Amino acid sequence: MTALALRSLRHRPAAAVATFMAALLGTALMASFATLVESALSAHDDDRELLIIMGGIVGGWAALIVLFSVASTVGIVAGQRTREAGLLRTIGATPRQVRALIVYEAGVVALLAASAGAVVASIGGPALFAALQRGDLITAASEYAGGPASLSTAAGAVVLVGTVAAGIASRRATGGPAAFSPRQAEVSALPLRRWRILVGGLLVAVGLASAVVTVTVTGKAGDAYAAMQTSGSASIVVGVGLATLAPGLLRLLATPLRPLLARSGSGHLAAANTTRRAHLLAGTLAPVIVLVSTAVGTLLMIGIDDRTLTAAGDPEGVGGTITMINSVVIGMICLFAAIMVVNAAVAVVAHRRTELDRLWRLGATAGQLRSSIVLEAAVVAFVGILLGLLGSTATAVPYAIVRQEGVVPDGQLWLPPLIALVAAALTIGAAWGAQRRSAR
Amino acid sequence: MADDTPALAVQGLTKRHGSGAGAVDALVGIDLAFARGTFTAVMGPSGSGKSTFLACVAGLERPTSGQVLIEGTDVTHWTEARRTRMRRDRIGFVFQDFSLIPYLTAAENVALPARLSGRRAQPEAIRTALARVGLENRAGHLPGALSGGQQQRVAVARALVTGPTVLLADEPTGALDSATARKVLQLLRAAVDDLGQTTVMVTHDPVAASYADDVVFLVDGRVGGRMAAPSVDAVAAQLAHLDQLTGVAR
Repeated sequence: MTALALRSLRHRPAAAVATFMAALLGTALMASFATLVESALSAHDDDRELLIIMGGIVGGWAALIVLFSVASTVGIVAGQRTREAGLLRTIGATPRQVRALIVYEAGVVALLAASAGAVVASIGGPALFAALQRGDLITAASEYAGGPASLSTAAGAVVLVGTVAAGIASRRATGGPAAFSPRQAEVSALPLRRWRILVGGLLVAVGLASAVVTVTVTGKAGDAYAAMQTSGSASIVVGVGLATLAPGLLRLLATPLRPLLARSGSGHLAAANTTRRAHLLAGTLAPVIVLVSTAVGTLLMIGIDDRTLTAAGDPEGVGGTITMINSVVIGMICLFAAIMVVNAAVAVVAHRRTELDRLWRLGATAGQLRSSIVLEAAVVAFVGILLGLLGSTATAVPYAIVRQEGVVPDGQLWLPPLIALVAAALTIGAAWGAQRRSAR
Repeated sequence: MADDTPALAVQGLTKRHGSGAGAVDALVGIDLAFARGTFTAVMGPSGSGKSTFLACVAGLERPTSGQVLIEGTDVTHWTEARRTRMRRDRIGFVFQDFSLIPYLTAAENVALPARLSGRRAQPEAIRTALARVGLENRAGHLPGALSGGQQQRVAVARALVTGPTVLLADEPTGALDSATARKVLQLLRAAVDDLGQTTVMVTHDPVAASYADDVVFLVDGRVGGRMAAPSVDAVAAQLAHLDQLTGVAR
């Protein structure tokens, strides 16, 4: 199976690209923050707290998004192997062997990508540290001390999560009957598994709890940054939680759109696809939710902070610098989330060549195939933006309340529509680009 | 248009794959006409050009030279989009792999050609089409919940629902066991007898061919013989003979 896995990887590099991208960029981002934590251990006492906050808390948010994205991407790619898994089993491979093949493949790709990501972080980590020093957030007394320990921990986490996710997805790929014929239509959608509902529900609950804690506890604390520590993560955690539930949510929310879409032939196809194959398209939906929720939530928070910091009592007069660093860091996290949206959209559409070819043979024109894919992406973007904006309120609303701006922040109200527009453009644009290769 | 215009005809149909020294001639000047209401099986050894013939007739591939006439109209040089619409409106297709759309129910699959044409499918017509193949009580099932034979019968219903000029079947029983295959062949035969449906079926199975009125044998891209009122044994014997011929030629 090992030899077969390596051969299969060499044969189809395109299928591995999505996993590779997610693991590479994810490790680079996550390991850069991890080096700050490692540096904190040997840092000057004055700097330790900030390094831990930056590396541990902000880095923790990044880690959550990274690990979710890696798991989600690996899930898309492994789930696409159902047909091949059935074929291998008809020639005598046991389900265990097929699962081993899928897991091994994902593990190898994740390991290569994470190693490369660690190399990137060995440059990114010192750069981040130097930026903090230039901004006078840490003193010259401390030195960058990131090394193999933090880099390999981050890389190891990415590989571990990628491999475990492949293991879970491979169970779905081999879940069909043993005599599964490669000619048969694909196995129909399974309902969301209980553990997945549990994890998603738990994450949403944790996010809402930190929102409540922000208003009731940390918002009343003397430290102006206490509220940010509990509030900043809320929209990310809720976003990842909603993204975990993405297949069920897409089915639920796309159903009311069906009559609207069903007016044209291509819309009819898009409507059926978004509801009945929500488990496949959820791979595209999940990163959209995370992107919108994270970007809108945290960027609004930074904006509120910037406007109200003086009133809240800027502890050390470094508010401006913190805003700047926060913007850069959150910007990097959002950029990663945005790349994941494109990555997932391409991976999902690129796999549909057979199906598009089948529709074409039955008389769907190239234009109809194009518009059905674009309409599908539009539905996914719409649902993702809706859920993402919902998730973003977990950070923006409590923080606005704490900083005396009321339920709705006083400024930056152009931000949610702008992020929504960017998310829609990325989702639809990526699908459009991918179908040009898949369709005729 | 005179009534004796064949539903489908090809003249000098030639298809060459590749170019230069590596070029392969899949079809070499085929002339055939298929009269209305007839059921013809196209047979031949592997590599005889059966599949290429069907792909050219359906407009999936453009022939290198020659003409494809649907009810006397030359469609060979139509644009891609126009040939696609022609396929949707005037050709019914049954494939070996069923080619159902996995996320559409049986009824929605049957309604698909109409939906792609921008028409609302007539519920009554869909019901009738599914009833014709004996699946009226499976209308709301997704293909994944149907057996292989049932899926192929849905595909037959979909191919017939538009009242196509020609029904093209590409190894329609290739993925079925003999009992379900018989059921599908009976449906195709009934469409010819009851609806006057012109049908052209590519197959390598003598049993399938015995359901047709005529058999056309292709050998190395040429018409290598014809047989009327084919019996299983006669077709099998002729195929074995052709295999020998090509074996010698190679």
